[in-house]
Amino acid sequence: MKNDQKNGKPIVRIQDLHKWFDMLHVLKGISLEVAPTEVVVIIGRSGSGKSTFLRCINFLEQPSSGTIAIDDIVITTGPGIRPDAKQVRALRVHTGMVFQDFNLFPHMTALENVIEGLITVKGMPKEQAVAIGEKYLDKVGLLEKKDVYPIRLSGGQKQRVAIARALAMEPNVMLFDEPTSALDPELIGEVLAVMKQLAQEGTTMIIVTHEMAFARDVADRIIFMDEGQIVEEGPPSQVLGQPQEERTRLFLRSFLREGE
Amino acid sequence: MSAEAAKSLRPSPPPSPPPPEPDMSMGHALQAAHRRRALIQQGKVILVWIGLILLGFLALLQLRLDPAYMWKNWPFVAQGLLTTIGVSLASIGIAAVLALLGALGRLSTNTIAQGVSSFYVSLIRGTPLLIQIYIIYLGLPQIGRQLTVLGYPELGRAFILTAIQSGILALSVNYGAYMTEIFRAGIQSIGHGQWEAAIAIGMTRWQAMKRIILPQAIRIIIPDVGNQFIAMQKDSALVSVMGIWEVTYRANRFARKDSKFMEMFLIAAALYWLLTIVSSWLEHKLERRLAAAYER
Repeated sequence: MKNDQKNGKPIVRIQDLHKWFDMLHVLKGISLEVAPTEVVVIIGRSGSGKSTFLRCINFLEQPSSGTIAIDDIVITTGPGIRPDAKQVRALRVHTGMVFQDFNLFPHMTALENVIEGLITVKGMPKEQAVAIGEKYLDKVGLLEKKDVYPIRLSGGQKQRVAIARALAMEPNVMLFDEPTSALDPELIGEVLAVMKQLAQEGTTMIIVTHEMAFARDVADRIIFMDEGQIVEEGPPSQVLGQPQEERTRLFLRSFLREGE
Repeated sequence: MSAEAAKSLRPSPPPSPPPPEPDMSMGHALQAAHRRRALIQQGKVILVWIGLILLGFLALLQLRLDPAYMWKNWPFVAQGLLTTIGVSLASIGIAAVLALLGALGRLSTNTIAQGVSSFYVSLIRGTPLLIQIYIIYLGLPQIGRQLTVLGYPELGRAFILTAIQSGILALSVNYGAYMTEIFRAGIQSIGHGQWEAAIAIGMTRWQAMKRIILPQAIRIIIPDVGNQFIAMQKDSALVSVMGIWEVTYRANRFARKDSKFMEMFLIAAALYWLLTIVSSWLEHKLERRLAAAYER
């Protein structure tokens, strides 16, 4: 069922993405297609450009040139071409992002965080938004905390609320930017469990992470990035098990040295 | 018999007794002693203050200060307090609105908005409040009369403000410029991640500002606004030059009439000082209340 859909028309299409920070060429022509329900995990060293790449997908970073397409929305940038703000906002509504530092709104309760986008951006009436918000809080297992402020939540709980907040907008693709890197080790598990559940339910996900065991377990495709380029791409059994490229092997060796 | 079955037949060890409640009496005693010492120290400082005031007063008495005159006329000066406080409250409110507009302008991507707000801030912070008061109170009516002569009487009349209107306008515009920087710093202190989270769900810049950034920035800005209010109450003495019957004007009236300068201005000074002390105390309580809202 899930595998059939994976060969369908890609829901995310990125073509020849370049990004310069002043004279620094951070992304050197990345192209990627993601099919609906596919889970893509991006791995690589810090400075490889993987986070910048993810943040270009929803235009948190302005790409220097290239095309980003989510469902029917296609935005092409280039030198001198400024993307239309309305189109960019429309594209962002179709993506849901989960940040390393959670970035929950501290002056709102968990439920208010989750429904904020529905009310302010989608113009939904409050009762309808609350119903959706509670559904997604329940999905991440935090319905009982709906009236609690973020300051009283643990890191793992905050990240799960952040996931619910992104899910509530019912985006085409969920983007995860190192979602467990800021968490204490004992809290990582609960977040990964939610992410695994989402993957099994058929959510399209693009995940930047260092959690190799999780990647091997959940990813349909793993992408190894180095110095702004995709070096190797393929199923976990290949990229993690039998990497074809020397750079991939070097990177993975540093993980093995840490005792597994 | 299997190992597990053997384990289940062994009697379980008795539960260990709960650890004894720690003895807090030493902690309480130390805390109480510390509080006592702090209060005694505060008391000593207040005694020094009273001593200084009495010493100053006695010295002035030797130099023919007239306490009876002070006692007779202090209510007249004190009646100006309502005007002083009223003018300050109205001005701080309008100044806050100007400051918000100014800060948004300074942070705007629109060049005109940036230009206007930075011009406002530089010009007003770069000129003395007294000059601003004179320009508003004396300069504007001159423009107004000229407009009337040129055939625009309604527009001309708009430029002629009463003393109170001029006073509030001058203080508002002046403090609005200084508070613009406070508001701007407050807004910018909100972490970048909050912006990103807001626009990631599709908000416009204005929606993010209104729903996410400003509500958080206000909590940082309010204590500073409280401090500005306290300063403004003292700066409001300058509007006395426009003939507004606040504290300084009233003190001045009697001082000049009977040549009792020291007496009257000491009363005025004491009243402003009292005003500052009470306002500071209220502001301190407000800050504690705001901080409590963020506690676990």
